[in-house]
Amino acid sequence: MKRLLVMPFLLLLTGCNIKVLDSRSDTANDQAFLIIYSFSLMLIVVLVVSILFIRFVFKYRYTEERKDNIPPDVKGNKWLETAWVIGPLLLLAILAVPTIMMTYDQSPVLSTESEQEGTSVQVTAEQFNWTFEHANGKTEQNRLVIPEGGTILLHLKSEDVIHSFWVPRLGGKVDVMPDRELVYEIKNPQIGTYEGKCAEYCGLGHTNMKFEAEVVSADEYASYLNEK
Amino acid sequence: MKFTLFGVNIMLPSDVLAAWVFTLLLGAVVVFLVLKKKRLGLIWEYMVTTNHRKIGILYILFGIIYFFRAGLDALFIRTQLAFPNNDFWVFQGEKYNEVFTTHGTMMIFFVAMPLLLGLMNTVVPLQIGARDLAFPFLNAVGFWLFFFGSIFFNISFFLNMTPEIGWTGYAPLSTEQFTPGAGSDFYIFGLQISGLGTIFTALNLIVTIVRHRAPGMKMTRMPLFAWTSLITSFLILIAFTVLAIALYLLMFDRLFGAGFFSGTEGNPIYWQHLFWIFGHPEVYILALPAFGIFSDVISTFSRKRVFGYPIMVLSVALIGFLGFMVWAHHMFTVGLGPMANTFFAITTMLIAVPTGIKVFNWLFTMRLGVIRFTTPMLFSLGFIPSFVMGGVTGVMLSVSAADFQFHDTHFVVAHFHYVIIASTILGIFAGLYYWYPKITGYVLDEKLGRWHFWTFLIGFHLTFFPMHITGLEGMPRRVYTYDDSGGLAELNFMSTIGAFLMGVSMLFAIWNVYKTYKEGRKVGNDPWDGRTLEWSVASPAPEHTFDPMPVVEGIDSFWFAKSAGKKMPVTDQVRATPLEVQSILPFLIGSTLFFLSLGLTFSWYWLSILSAFILFTLLVVRSLKDEREDHYGRRK
Ligand code: HEM
Ligand SMILES: [Cu+2]
Ligand SMILES: [Cu+2]
Repeated sequence: MKRLLVMPFLLLLTGCNIKVLDSRSDTANDQAFLIIYSFSLMLIVVLVVSILFIRFVFKYRYTEERKDNIPPDVKGNKWLETAWVIGPLLLLAILAVPTIMMTYDQSPVLSTESEQEGTSVQVTAEQFNWTFEHANGKTEQNRLVIPEGGTILLHLKSEDVIHSFWVPRLGGKVDVMPDRELVYEIKNPQIGTYEGKCAEYCGLGHTNMKFEAEVVSADEYASYLNEK
Repeated sequence: MKFTLFGVNIMLPSDVLAAWVFTLLLGAVVVFLVLKKKRLGLIWEYMVTTNHRKIGILYILFGIIYFFRAGLDALFIRTQLAFPNNDFWVFQGEKYNEVFTTHGTMMIFFVAMPLLLGLMNTVVPLQIGARDLAFPFLNAVGFWLFFFGSIFFNISFFLNMTPEIGWTGYAPLSTEQFTPGAGSDFYIFGLQISGLGTIFTALNLIVTIVRHRAPGMKMTRMPLFAWTSLITSFLILIAFTVLAIALYLLMFDRLFGAGFFSGTEGNPIYWQHLFWIFGHPEVYILALPAFGIFSDVISTFSRKRVFGYPIMVLSVALIGFLGFMVWAHHMFTVGLGPMANTFFAITTMLIAVPTGIKVFNWLFTMRLGVIRFTTPMLFSLGFIPSFVMGGVTGVMLSVSAADFQFHDTHFVVAHFHYVIIASTILGIFAGLYYWYPKITGYVLDEKLGRWHFWTFLIGFHLTFFPMHITGLEGMPRRVYTYDDSGGLAELNFMSTIGAFLMGVSMLFAIWNVYKTYKEGRKVGNDPWDGRTLEWSVASPAPEHTFDPMPVVEGIDSFWFAKSAGKKMPVTDQVRATPLEVQSILPFLIGSTLFFLSLGLTFSWYWLSILSAFILFTLLVVRSLKDEREDHYGRRK
């Protein structure tokens, strides 16, 4: 349903192929939906203000005929003022509903509170490297391999300062904290190779703290795990 | 460059060397000019002054100097980011981290704050019919604390010890373990000293506005700039106190290994909470006074009173109040949980409502009016659509699940520059053009003003609009380079052109000031056909204003008296006025805090103890004297 709503916008935007909107997982897809949904609502606001602005500035500009005009002493207008309290409130209510739904669905939680099932990967960040450890103990640096479909559970922990895990096409960021382990879910990723990076400023090598995220088929993942 | 001085090997990178050469040359020119024109006396006059207009001028002067300094940083940032995989001068890695830290910190604390405080200082007393701020001595102390705090922050660069922790100074990166150098200490003490000064000035403004209004100037008749200054001062009082606490704890962590923000007892999240409980209200501290300026300017140049005055005041108060309930929207990705994320998403959205009210009320102030396109009005008109664009991206950011994508990307950089530049910076320009006659006695050139406005506005949109897209293309903030993919190259190049256009626009501004000074065409009391009290006193405002004291009979009563062809009634029943003094003590008090901090930074504890002792002595000296005694007699 949600995906249907997004379709026309996505078609419009595939021309520019913006990474965050060109999502490759359900998680990122929901976020792209929210971005476009809020953008469309906000476009209404911008349009209303722009129309009034252009109209008033043009119509009431200073001209030779109106040089000595003393405008009426308007103090305000109860009805109009009520209108622009109620209007924005309604608009925000429309925005708040999917916001709350998806925030509950997607907010990262503490490892100890997570109840989800899925493929777990232990992510450890340190200045300026990523280490990914899989269920069977296989570890690799700066390359994350995960199976397509299903739910991926990333358990994130930092060795030193705060970092942030981000693969724009697969989902939003989650901070990697030194004092707690967070879990972030990526739902139903699609096959492909995507760029990932650290998004929280962490010092000298922050710019280059990148990694590669590879989504592969389940079979390939199994054989990846068993590779030496 | 490497060299040896007093047996110490000193390494100076070329940018620091360039700064030394440039500063020394400029300093020599300034000293030469001062001596040639025999202006030493003038400098001394400003060092000992406690007059609100002069202190306002000092704030504005240094705000503008730092604007060029931090603007130069911005140009370095944009030049480095002009092309993919670019290597401009030294600005990669560490130097890039330093340059965005100084840019952000200075723009917020040493540009926007002093410019606004300067305008409040000069204008608020004139608008409400006060002869000075309630505590002129404290006002001078406030300014010199700001001054020495900003100098303390700035010398770090000349010593090649620039902070590199971002303007947010997140722990644990800012703790001693990860940034052992003196840089972070310069950040801590620089902000601590100047923040203290800001708190003093806020207190001063509150007392002034509550106690020293002209007869008949009820709260409900005050111009909106006075109202926003009042509410802003309350915000400062709370927010800057929280900042002071945060910096204090961080100082203990760094100097004495206290461990508030790291280790097993402490927690880095505490810093983020404290910082944003200060930091979010701070953006309203920057925006609200600008709202006040726009309200006054739009009303004056539409020849109409502000539409819906009560709700305009109420919405400012509401924004101020809600401003303290949204701080964790900067922390959606930290893992506070779905409950907290939802709560802060909703409160953030709610702030949009009072803000929207203000926008519509400004629009309807213009409706039916006669809109004159003077330079201050152009800046105010430029503000409305630009600010709305920044506001709506703010609402988009409040959608917490979407913010997982936006957070810490150039989308956010675009958002907050749209908000801050459209409100604060355009507001400051509007205010400076508007009140320039009241401050100096000259009116700035309109033609150059229009050039300044249009180049700035176009440059601004050209710089920041593309950043929305680069952010969504996956470009994080605080990175010094990027690959050429997804149009990043073209968009970033556009940004850089825009930034330089803004740089050019500032040259028009300087040229304008210079030209106005050269031509020296004096203006009368009321060059804009103003509505509020400040236009009833001479330009420039004399040291002793409101003699005789006018009686206010309603909103914009100066304008209504004027259009009825009458004079405002006057009275000699006035409250005792604050007394101006000439004193070097405020300057000295500021400098002792400077040396105290210097001692703590480099563990020269003898210097700190000595400075603390002198500071205490100065405070005692001050407490023994009450200049009002000579004037009003001793209190029984
Ligand atoms: C005049 C033109 C300006 C330009 C071209 C400009 C450009 C930039 C750019 C490109 C960044 C992002 C750096 C990065 O994340 O890698 C930045 C950061 C920032 N700017 Fe500006 N800026 C300007 C004016 C301002 C003003 C007027 C303010 C505030 C009053 C301001 C406050 C900030 C802050 C707080 C940051 C964040 C610094 C940090 O990440 O720690 N800037 N600016
Ligand atoms: Cu990083
Ligand atoms: Cu905020």
